[in-house]
Amino acid sequence: MNAQVLLEFAINVLSMGSLYALIALGLVFVFGICKLINFAYGEFITVSAYVLYLLGVFTSLPWPLVFLIGILASVAIGFLSELVAFRPFRGRSLDALLVTSFAVSVIMQRLFQLGISPRSKAVPIPAFFNMNVELLGVITPLRNCLIIGTTLVLLIVLVIIMKYTVLGVAMRGASENFVTARLMGVPANLVISVAFIISGFLAGVVAIFWSARTGSVEPLMGMSPLLIGFIAVVIGGMHSLPGAVVGGFVYALIANILSLTLPTSLLSFRDAFMFAIVIVFLVLKPEGLMRGNYQEERVG
Amino acid sequence: MSNCTENAPILQISDLYVAYGSILALHGVSLEVHKGELVSICGVNGAGKSTVLKAISGVLKPRSGSIRFKDKDVTGWKPEHLHKLGMALVPEGRDIFPSLTVEENLRLGAFGRYQAKRFAADLEDFFTLFPILKERYHQAGGLLSGGEQQMLAIARGLISHPDLLMMDEPSLGLSPNRVDQIFDLIIELKSRGITILLVEQNAGRALAIADRAYLFSNGRVEYAGRPQDMAGDVDITSVYLGSQKGGDVG
Amino acid sequence: MNIRDFIEDLDFSRKSSTVVFLIVILMVIGFFIWWLNIPFIEDIFTFGTIMLIMALGFQLFMGNSGILNWSYIGYVGIGAFASAIFSMTPALKALQIPTMYPFLISLHLPFPLALLAGALVAMIAAAIVAWPLMRLSDSVGAITQFALLIVISVLLSQWSQVTNGPRTFTLGGTRLTTFWVALGVAVLVIIAVYYFKESSLGLKLRATREDRYAARSSGINFVAVRYFGYVASAGIGGLAGGLYSHYILSITASSFYMNELFLLLSMLVIGGSMSVSGAFFGALLVTLVRQGLRQLEMLFSRSGFEASGSAEIVVAVILVAFLIWKANGITGGRELSWISIKRRLRIGSGKSDNIPKN
Repeated sequence: MNAQVLLEFAINVLSMGSLYALIALGLVFVFGICKLINFAYGEFITVSAYVLYLLGVFTSLPWPLVFLIGILASVAIGFLSELVAFRPFRGRSLDALLVTSFAVSVIMQRLFQLGISPRSKAVPIPAFFNMNVELLGVITPLRNCLIIGTTLVLLIVLVIIMKYTVLGVAMRGASENFVTARLMGVPANLVISVAFIISGFLAGVVAIFWSARTGSVEPLMGMSPLLIGFIAVVIGGMHSLPGAVVGGFVYALIANILSLTLPTSLLSFRDAFMFAIVIVFLVLKPEGLMRGNYQEERVG
Repeated sequence: MSNCTENAPILQISDLYVAYGSILALHGVSLEVHKGELVSICGVNGAGKSTVLKAISGVLKPRSGSIRFKDKDVTGWKPEHLHKLGMALVPEGRDIFPSLTVEENLRLGAFGRYQAKRFAADLEDFFTLFPILKERYHQAGGLLSGGEQQMLAIARGLISHPDLLMMDEPSLGLSPNRVDQIFDLIIELKSRGITILLVEQNAGRALAIADRAYLFSNGRVEYAGRPQDMAGDVDITSVYLGSQKGGDVG
Repeated sequence: MNIRDFIEDLDFSRKSSTVVFLIVILMVIGFFIWWLNIPFIEDIFTFGTIMLIMALGFQLFMGNSGILNWSYIGYVGIGAFASAIFSMTPALKALQIPTMYPFLISLHLPFPLALLAGALVAMIAAAIVAWPLMRLSDSVGAITQFALLIVISVLLSQWSQVTNGPRTFTLGGTRLTTFWVALGVAVLVIIAVYYFKESSLGLKLRATREDRYAARSSGINFVAVRYFGYVASAGIGGLAGGLYSHYILSITASSFYMNELFLLLSMLVIGGSMSVSGAFFGALLVTLVRQGLRQLEMLFSRSGFEASGSAEIVVAVILVAFLIWKANGITGGRELSWISIKRRLRIGSGKSDNIPKN
């Protein structure tokens, strides 16, 4: 095991983990405040990717503008879906919320199929994204470095918002105890909308890097990141923002270890192993890695 | 600030019916609070005392009846709007935000009605009133003891300079020393002219400091009046308040 | 407890009437369609009946325990593949899936036994993994079930030596799940699921749905109760899967994933998840809506307008509408029964009006 291989491994884990951390954060923001497991989050990502596709193929806008509009699209979808589809369900049981978000997800997937195409489409990505660069002696696509850098920046920004602005404090309070926060004058609608806006924003960033990696967009593409997000959030502890980040990196770590260590005959089962590990972990430690401040129910 | 006349109550509840699902918890409750008063609501567990506060503060929507605050009909208003209007609730069980620091808890308490200069002045005041908060200013709320959390919860209620401060069982679960501290504090607040609506199971202490009191039983107001007028009535004290001392009823 | 006591215990006017009604309705529709003698409509009915059985198995656990059982569709898939492996002749298997494990190739059972074997395999799979999961509730429980579905799905889609991997598994031969087979099994399953619900096990399970802690303090070991419900549900799912694979005659792992789960969920929510009648009417309604929309879709396609998939959108929208306004579904969690009909029609002396909610 020489330094080169180790370094390559580290970069893979870091870049994958960064992306997964962003995915997980997008989920946990909404879950923390509304206790909603947002199945439609995958579709926030897909919308953004479709915008990247449409603008890239049918217009000649410069890529920074395309990226920006893509992110705005997912922010808009996030905000609108809360307003239209989730607000009527405020205060309902967790199961009702879950099923609703599932239904919204299905509706959006079908709309993509009908409105654009059931087949996958190639997303034009600026060439430099996939250009190979040398980092500490390892050859890796530039996008890996970009995602690590982007995630770092975004994390710092989010920490600043959550710790040093009143809105951030209000959101943290609301996710601990929503009713009491309202009693302090924190407006419910504002806090929830902001959560969805942040979630949409993160989805937009994820869409850029996800379609850069896969090169394409298709109606069901949101399922993979969604699944990753769920697992990362649950591993990290569902009520903790830092937990989501940790969960993302842990997921990337396990996935990469499995890729390296599984015998070739079993490689196609990697996801099954992955999720089996997750199930075992959850059975042993349902509250996740980082203890949040909310008591999850576990009995027996 | 309120522009109601001296005689109009700052809070007036008429014929309030509140239900949890299909179970009625309040049956036609009426009460009022005047500016500067300290009004106590007493009664045994489950009599509906907390329910009243939840309905007033907007946490529960009443089935029928009306709530007027500062001469406005606020029935069915959302909690955050009521707070902005000048209502503050110190919830049952403290309900401070455990992962937020004392400072952040206080900042949140002033959310709708924050003024920087006033906040700074308030802090000075609070540090004298609640010295423990100064010590623990940057510590997470969850690390405070029960009594300290109660102080924090009350400070959090005060920091928005409410026109009506409502307190839900502030002495619950506290040691006798702390209970003394709390009631001394309430007396101090009253002397500053703050209008207080106090829900307390510890009827003995609550009635000792209140201007007026309402006795609840089974979701109804069974008696309303001044504590001194109640003292002689044996029925009231035994049936509705349990024992005179401490008021620790099942 | 002997048979006579058992029969006496059944309060016919309330308890068993539901089963009788549902079976009668199903058989009346069935006979009517058989009499019509239009193969295309018979096919729709057969397929709908299979979906009904699937929905009933789903209801058995989810309706009574209140736990969203995402992994259920995985067991349908396991049953589908397992029963196919048992029912196909070794020669056929060797031909279709040359890489299959030899001992699997050599298995051969007549169709009815193959169906039961498939259900059994599903039950065993559930029995092995489910115990530790039954302790988890709420969000963590839902995600674990979801993760379990993924595990099953990946196994089904990658294990080439058993399921032909991601490629289609063709059963070939004739459609062994006939109109009457489906109908017959449906009748049996209605009876089974209903009496599970009314049995002491079902009652205990329903108690855990209402209030876990209260149930526990009444001495109900709710992990065990959930476990048995879960395994039973998997068994029925496996049975339905077997019927399905012998109807469609070619399956892949992707046939037992989110889309199908969503369909089952819609049936339960729209019909009312807490009652067997709810699953029944939900399955009926959703099948009708989908078939009707399919016909419309085909009409549209002929005029050049591509509309496939719109059926799902409509079902999803209906689902959301129900969740908003009538979360307990059409039946509201109540069972169709003689008493409820009498009440509607306002006949009878009304003395049995103190009916506890089902």
